Amino acid sequence: MVNVKHFVIFIAVIFLSLFVAVLNKNDDMKLQEAKPVLRVFGYASFTGQWGAGPSLKQIFEKDCDCQVQFIQGSDSGILLQRLKLEGESLGADLVVGLDQFDLQKALAEQKWRELNISDLDVYDEVKPALQNNYFVPFDWGVISFVTRKGEFEKNPENFDDLLSPNLKRKIALQDPRTSSPGMQFLSWVIRAKGEEAGFKYIKKMMEQAHSFSPSWSSAYGLFSKKQAKTALSYVTSPVFHRVEEKNNDYIALEFNEGHPVQFEFAAIPESCRNCELAERFINLMLSDQGQKLIMQKSYMFPVVRNVKEGTVFADIPQFKTLGDFEIPSTQEVERLLKKWSDLRRGDSN
Amino acid sequence: MLVAFFESIKYVGHLLPISFLRVFMGYYYLQQALNKFNGDFLTRPRIADQIAEWLPASHAPNWYKIFVSSQIIPHWQTVAFIIVGLEFAIAVSYIIGYVVRPIALLAVLLCFNMLFFSGPMNEDLFKTFLTIHLIMAWVGAGRCLGFDYYFFKRRRGIWW
Repeated sequence: MVNVKHFVIFIAVIFLSLFVAVLNKNDDMKLQEAKPVLRVFGYASFTGQWGAGPSLKQIFEKDCDCQVQFIQGSDSGILLQRLKLEGESLGADLVVGLDQFDLQKALAEQKWRELNISDLDVYDEVKPALQNNYFVPFDWGVISFVTRKGEFEKNPENFDDLLSPNLKRKIALQDPRTSSPGMQFLSWVIRAKGEEAGFKYIKKMMEQAHSFSPSWSSAYGLFSKKQAKTALSYVTSPVFHRVEEKNNDYIALEFNEGHPVQFEFAAIPESCRNCELAERFINLMLSDQGQKLIMQKSYMFPVVRNVKEGTVFADIPQFKTLGDFEIPSTQEVERLLKKWSDLRRGDSN
Repeated sequence: MLVAFFESIKYVGHLLPISFLRVFMGYYYLQQALNKFNGDFLTRPRIADQIAEWLPASHAPNWYKIFVSSQIIPHWQTVAFIIVGLEFAIAVSYIIGYVVRPIALLAVLLCFNMLFFSGPMNEDLFKTFLTIHLIMAWVGAGRCLGFDYYFFKRRRGIWW
């Protein structure tokens, strides 16, 4: 019994000390709050340790006399859901990482501040994404499947090649309900094959998928751990392995159907508290320095002209893209997602 | 007590390599706990996000998934506090070698849960930690270069 007492007292002392420390910390935080705080709500790949967020924060804090705080959502698809659920209590001054499938929904569910982006000198591929005054694109990428050299005798060249029996449960895909690349894939198939044939194809793909992960990072993690032979990602993903891991074994697969382009947008909610700081942060993201940082940390193409020239990103082969940039309506996206969910439920029963 | 601390090397010197591993693990947990304490782990629902993201894809049994979704996610603040508290407890216990056996069993419990919360990329790490904690508990790693030896000498029993 005496022995148990030692253990109980030890645990009690630790937890009590932590409790007191947390109380003190909260008091300190209240004092720090005198400085204006810019709260940036973004997905994990942006706000995380390896993302562009922390470096941008460092540069921004140098001369803004403010603090930048990140609120992290796991994937861009989840950002809107949380914005809707938590609303103003989330306290976001800036939202980073919405993609084109989120825009209509974002406009319908939330009021946004107008931004002046007309004089932005962007690459031609990016011009169609400047259609509105609320959302400004800060990077873009071409969606493709990524694999390791030697995984296939002959690399898949179209959607039908992915149905090969030796890829059964070996493709890492994302859930389109929570992940924007997942939604991109759903839309890609439908645009390439038509709706009816597209959903028939997706039904077959459910047999091929290792899993439908809730976010890009989880799907890519499965692929990196060699639990999957290929994963839906970006043409820029092999560059990450080349630069960070000095590994040239990764390649993006070019499909005959053409590839979709994903844009990532930043926007300021009308409910922002430090709106001016948020605008300044967007300006930093769109400056040459910011664009270079985003390109190097997120491994996505920059939107501002002449930033990627002279870097490894300029050497990435140009894949045939699907062409027209479209912002699908909320109803259309929801209808497709419902159909996908019904198909998925049928698959799991 | 201090004499017993160093005297332990003479009598249970065969446990010395394990005690180095114990101190290293303690240091690792101290870093983890400090990062969480200094970051926003206690003020933002990071653990709830993490669970929501990874639990559906984990191999955890259904009853566990239901329990976690209904009890842990809504009470993320309490859970975050317990996780940080446990990490501090493991850190202090392992570094000074005090009540290592029962703390190692708590660490096993924590690792088991983190195995399901942290996604496939951390699975191997937590499996390794799980084994290390079990070994710590098994051998009573606090008895060499630790205060457990002082109590072990006087009271014996499975707690030290």
